[in-house]
Amino acid sequence: MQPREERISVGGIDVHAWVGGRGAPLLVLHGAGANRGWLQWIERVAEHYTVWAPTHPGFGASGDAEWMEGVDDLARFHLWLIEAAGLGRPHVLGHSIGGWTAAEMATMSPGSIGRLVLVAPTGLKPETGEILDVFFHSDAQLRDLIVHDPATVPEWPQLFGRPPAPADLEMADRNREMTARLAWKPYMHNPRLAQFLPRVTNPTLIVWGREDRIVPVECGEQYRRALPDATLTVLERCGHLPPIEHPEAFARLVLDFLGGAA
Amino acid sequence: MKLYYFSEMPHHEYPDEEGAKYPSLRLAFPNRFFDRQKAAANYRRYLEEYELADQVGFDGLMINEHHSTPSCVNVGANMTAAVLARTTSRAKLLLLGNILPIEDNPVRMAEQIAMADLISGGRVLSGFVRGVGVEQWWANANPVHNRERFEECHDLILKCWTEPGPFRWEGRHYHFRHVNPWCLPLQQPHPPIWIPGTASPETAIWAGQRGYTYVPFLVPFDIARELFEFYRQGAAEAGRTVTPDNLGFLICAVTADTKAKALEAGRHFVWRMGPTLRGPVEWFSPVGMRSRAGKQFALKARPRSLAGMSYEELLAERFIIAGTPDEVAEGFALVQRELGIGHLLLEAQESRMDHPTTMHSIELMGAKVIPAVTPL
Repeated sequence: MQPREERISVGGIDVHAWVGGRGAPLLVLHGAGANRGWLQWIERVAEHYTVWAPTHPGFGASGDAEWMEGVDDLARFHLWLIEAAGLGRPHVLGHSIGGWTAAEMATMSPGSIGRLVLVAPTGLKPETGEILDVFFHSDAQLRDLIVHDPATVPEWPQLFGRPPAPADLEMADRNREMTARLAWKPYMHNPRLAQFLPRVTNPTLIVWGREDRIVPVECGEQYRRALPDATLTVLERCGHLPPIEHPEAFARLVLDFLGGAA
Repeated sequence: MKLYYFSEMPHHEYPDEEGAKYPSLRLAFPNRFFDRQKAAANYRRYLEEYELADQVGFDGLMINEHHSTPSCVNVGANMTAAVLARTTSRAKLLLLGNILPIEDNPVRMAEQIAMADLISGGRVLSGFVRGVGVEQWWANANPVHNRERFEECHDLILKCWTEPGPFRWEGRHYHFRHVNPWCLPLQQPHPPIWIPGTASPETAIWAGQRGYTYVPFLVPFDIARELFEFYRQGAAEAGRTVTPDNLGFLICAVTADTKAKALEAGRHFVWRMGPTLRGPVEWFSPVGMRSRAGKQFALKARPRSLAGMSYEELLAERFIIAGTPDEVAEGFALVQRELGIGHLLLEAQESRMDHPTTMHSIELMGAKVIPAVTPL
C-alpha cells in the first residue's frame, strides 16, 4: 500500500506527513535521526491501522520552529496536530525523542490518546549509565553505535548503504540542530517527567533493544515502574532502532498490543 | 601602528606522548596531567612577562580566556585584567576576550569589566568573542544559540554601561528584573569594544556596523582583506568611515640577538598551530554554532589547516615572524602595508618557550622594534 504525503498546517507551521493504511489512526513520532518514511514495519502495521507519520517541525520537509526550546513544546505541538488533522483519539507510537514526546503528550492530556507505544524513548535520566552524547560523536561513530549489527538489518543498504548526497547532509544538519534546540540541556531528559507519568493510565507498551548503546535499557524498567499500566518487552540482539533492526517482530508486537484495544 | 603583547599562558608541562593518546588536548586530556606546582610558578612568570611588556612600551597587553585545555590556562580574562590593572601602569588591557555566549550573567560581566577599567585608570579595551566550540561544551551552553546569545549578552552589557538603572531586561536568553549595577566603567560612554574574527562574515559585518575594532586571527592576508571588506560593508551600511584604528591583526612573533636564536624560539609556536587544535570537528564546531555562510567561508579561509603547514611555511606566510629586531620590525611593517591595520597583536610566548628567552624578546621589542613600528 502506497502512502501519500500530506501537509498539515499547525499553528502557522507547515508540517509534512506520510499518511497511509486503513483502520483506526496511529500517530507515529520519529526519532532524532529523521522521519525515515514508509519502512517495512510501518507497511505491516498500516494493514490494520491508518498511520500518520508527521515530520517534527524543524526537521526534514517540515517548516521551522526556532522558537521551540524543549520536547514539552514539541509535545504540545503534536497534541495540537492531532486536532488539526482530525485524528480523534489516536494511538501514539514514538521512537527515541519521539517516544519521549509521546510520553510528555500522555502526561499532558492522557484523554487525547488511546494506547501508547514507547520505543527506546529518551526523557528519563538513567539511574545507571548515561544517555550517549550524540552531539559529541561523529556520524561515523554514531552509525557504529546505533544498531547491534548492521549485517542483520534488512533495510540497512537503502537507509545507510550509499554515501549521502549534499542535500542529505544539509538535511541531517538541520535535524541535528533542531534536536539540539529540543534536548541540549538537560540533555535528552526532563527531570520533572517522572513526577507526571503516574497520571498516564493508558495501556502502554515499552520496547527496547537489549544492546541499546544510545539509551540504556535500564531506562525501560524506569518507565515501566512509573507508568501504571505498562509492559516492557526487550528484544535480544537489538540496538537503538528496534523497528528497523527487527521489522517483522516489532510490527507483530505493535499489532498484538494495539489489537488489544478493540 | 600599535603593538600588543599576548601570551596564552600555556601549560605545556606534560609528556607530549601522553597528550597524543587522546582525541584532543581539549576536553579529553585528563587533568591529572595538570601540574599544580608548575602552574603556580607559571602564572607568576607569565604575569611578570606581561609587566615587562608594559614597562618597555607595548601599547597594550592582550589577555584571552579558554577552558579545559593545556593550550591556555588563563581561565578568567577579567581576573587577569584585575591583577594587571594593579601591576602595570601604562599599557591598555585588551580583553580579547570575554566569551559572551557562554555567560549566564551579563550584568556581573558588565560589573567586572567596569571594575577592571576603574582600577586600571580607564585602560580597558573590552573585547567580546563568540568562543570556539570547546567552550560551548565546557559551559554546556547550547551552540545553536551561540550567535543569539552573543548579541543579546552584548546588548545587555552595553545597556548596563550606558543607560541609568534601575531597569528591567527580559529577552530571549537573559532575564533580569532589577538591573542597577553600582560599578560603571571609568571610560565614557564605555571602554572601546574589540571583536576578533577567523571566518565569520556575519561577525565582520556586525562589528563594522558598530564601529568596533575588528581583528582577524592567523588567517592568510587575502582572507583578512576579504574579512575587512565585509567589515567595510557593515560600516558603510551604518554610514561609518573606516580608519586603520578600526583594524587589527594577530600573528605570532619572537625576536632574539641572532636570527638563529629567534628561529629556534619561534618553533614553539608550532604547538599552537597543530597539536592544540587537534580534535573532532564536533568539539571545535558543534551543531548549529556556525551559519551556512560561516561554514562556507571557513572552508575557503582555510584551504590548508595551520596544522598541515611546516614551520618554514608558517614563517613564509607570516603566521609566525621570528628574527633579529630589525628583521621582525621589517616583517611587521610588511603586515601593516599588506593590510592597512592600526593594531598588531603579537602572540609572543608559547608552548615551552622559556622565561629568559621570552623576557629578552620583550626587552628587544621595546628597545628596537616598537620605536621602528610606532610611526607606521
